[in-house]
Amino acid sequence: MWGAYSSEWVKLQRRSMLGWGFGGGLFFPVLATIFTIERATKTLVIGPHGGVRVTIAALEQPTGLVHGVVDVSSLIGIVSLCIFAGAFATEYSQGTLRNLLVREPRRTQLLSGKFLALVTFIAIVVIVAVGVAVAVAFALAPGKGISTSAWTSSAGLSDLGQAVLHAFLAAAIYGVFGGALGVILRSPGVAIGVAIAWVIPIEAIIVGAIWSGGDRWLPGQLLDALAHGGNSNSSYSHALVILVIYAVVAAAGTLVLFNRRDA
Amino acid sequence: MPRRQRDFLTTTTPPSAKRGGHAGGGTPAIVASHLSKRYTEVLAVDSVDIELPAGVVGGFVGPNGAGKTTTIQLLLGLVRPTGGTAQVLGESIEHPSRYMSRVGALIEAPSFYPTLSGRRNLQALTRLGRLDRSRIDEVLEIVELSERADDRVKTYSLGMKQRLGVAAALLPNPDLVILDEPTNGLDPAGIREMRTLMRSLADRGITVLVSSHLLLEIEAICDHLVMIDHGRIVFEGPIAGLLDAQKSGLIARPEHAKDLEPLAALCVAAGKQARVDGDVVRIVAGEDWAAELNRQAFADGITLRGLEATRASLEEAFFAITEREDEA
Repeated sequence: MWGAYSSEWVKLQRRSMLGWGFGGGLFFPVLATIFTIERATKTLVIGPHGGVRVTIAALEQPTGLVHGVVDVSSLIGIVSLCIFAGAFATEYSQGTLRNLLVREPRRTQLLSGKFLALVTFIAIVVIVAVGVAVAVAFALAPGKGISTSAWTSSAGLSDLGQAVLHAFLAAAIYGVFGGALGVILRSPGVAIGVAIAWVIPIEAIIVGAIWSGGDRWLPGQLLDALAHGGNSNSSYSHALVILVIYAVVAAAGTLVLFNRRDA
Repeated sequence: MPRRQRDFLTTTTPPSAKRGGHAGGGTPAIVASHLSKRYTEVLAVDSVDIELPAGVVGGFVGPNGAGKTTTIQLLLGLVRPTGGTAQVLGESIEHPSRYMSRVGALIEAPSFYPTLSGRRNLQALTRLGRLDRSRIDEVLEIVELSERADDRVKTYSLGMKQRLGVAAALLPNPDLVILDEPTNGLDPAGIREMRTLMRSLADRGITVLVSSHLLLEIEAICDHLVMIDHGRIVFEGPIAGLLDAQKSGLIARPEHAKDLEPLAALCVAAGKQARVDGDVVRIVAGEDWAAELNRQAFADGITLRGLEATRASLEEAFFAITEREDEA
């Protein structure tokens, strides 16, 4: 497995992979942090469509440091999903899987090592993305008159740690689903397209028009709850347990398919 | 192959010596028994029996779609058989991890990560197989890619990708190398180098199985032949035996064109098949009948300007066998 892990890192260091991973991973949290701080108001303002702008007082709370990051944690997950789906499906579409199986015929080890390397990569992306977003928040806060003393308190650091953990868990589970689709569909474009179509419009249609209770059971809804540390639809622990079950089933199914299917 | 590469190959310790021997000493490198692969409606490999001796260069020939690549994929554990058994280097193909560390392979078109350099592609495979990293430079030198090793693979020609594929196959210092159409995309010089490389590998005790549709190439480099058509093995054995078994012939060229028909008639009267072909008479007969023909022609007043023996080529043998199979 460590051979597969080490080998995958050669591919993860490609400029395209670094660009998509860190570019996508950094873009959303940094942008969200900038918007959150720059648009913060002293008093509560309700927009024309009922949207509420965050107040400076709210940002001065311990959780204010990661307010923007938490809002877009699910988008980091989507980036992770695309990276995993692409990494697995491309081995089929480029024909490189056969080369890999010639050098590592133990398919379970190959798949596990590759998956572990991608999880490590995503962990680094999440840490770097949150780190840069935090640096941006500290840089912008004085200009808006936001006090940052609570951010560096133990409660603030705890919130920061939880935000990183939640974002990572959501990204890793998104990755499992992306990897499974990559192996099943064997085409990066189709796998990514199907995944995004399911998570964004299809789940929204199901919850909105067919099954209102779906927001407690559908993976996209649960991942959103997990990334936010729980929400009004689903508690954090409920989302985590159900998603872990889904992820284990997806991983086991993928492993069986990968082992049985001709390369 | 340039001299420096031959020197390099002969100074490297043979893999079997390093590993305490391989499937040599009488044990065939590949044995397949009733090996079959069916894809829903298509029987791609139909009860194939193969016994490739260790240390030879074995040619695997057949028309496109005959089942060569599927058979190779079965031997490498990439696809699962639907019937029969096979052993590679003495191990069952049900457990490819037991033998693949001693096997190098190039399957169909060489596939690499286009945005990585040739060297980085080989690094990925070296790490995956936990192989000696120093092998990368060695194999790049063998296939003459050292100068372009740090360029992205997407800038390589097909021939360069093919050579990189061969380099990847040689990475584990294998006991058995399986090359599927290794000369695709190579220019004549590259084909010649590939031929020399394969012979060099065999000289070091490495068994080579090479599939190709270039029968002249196979005839030039192979000791052993496996011929497949419609998923079935139609010949397997030493290549010399196959060619010897084919009908050999004589070509007689009379001094005067008016003697063509009488010469052909003379041969037929002697119980041989003969026909006029342009300014020569082609006769189905062994080389040992040439002297007799010369004597009889002289006795009938026919002067021969030329008389030569011909041997069936692999191409002729291939078509003769496959046509017989088709008729059957």
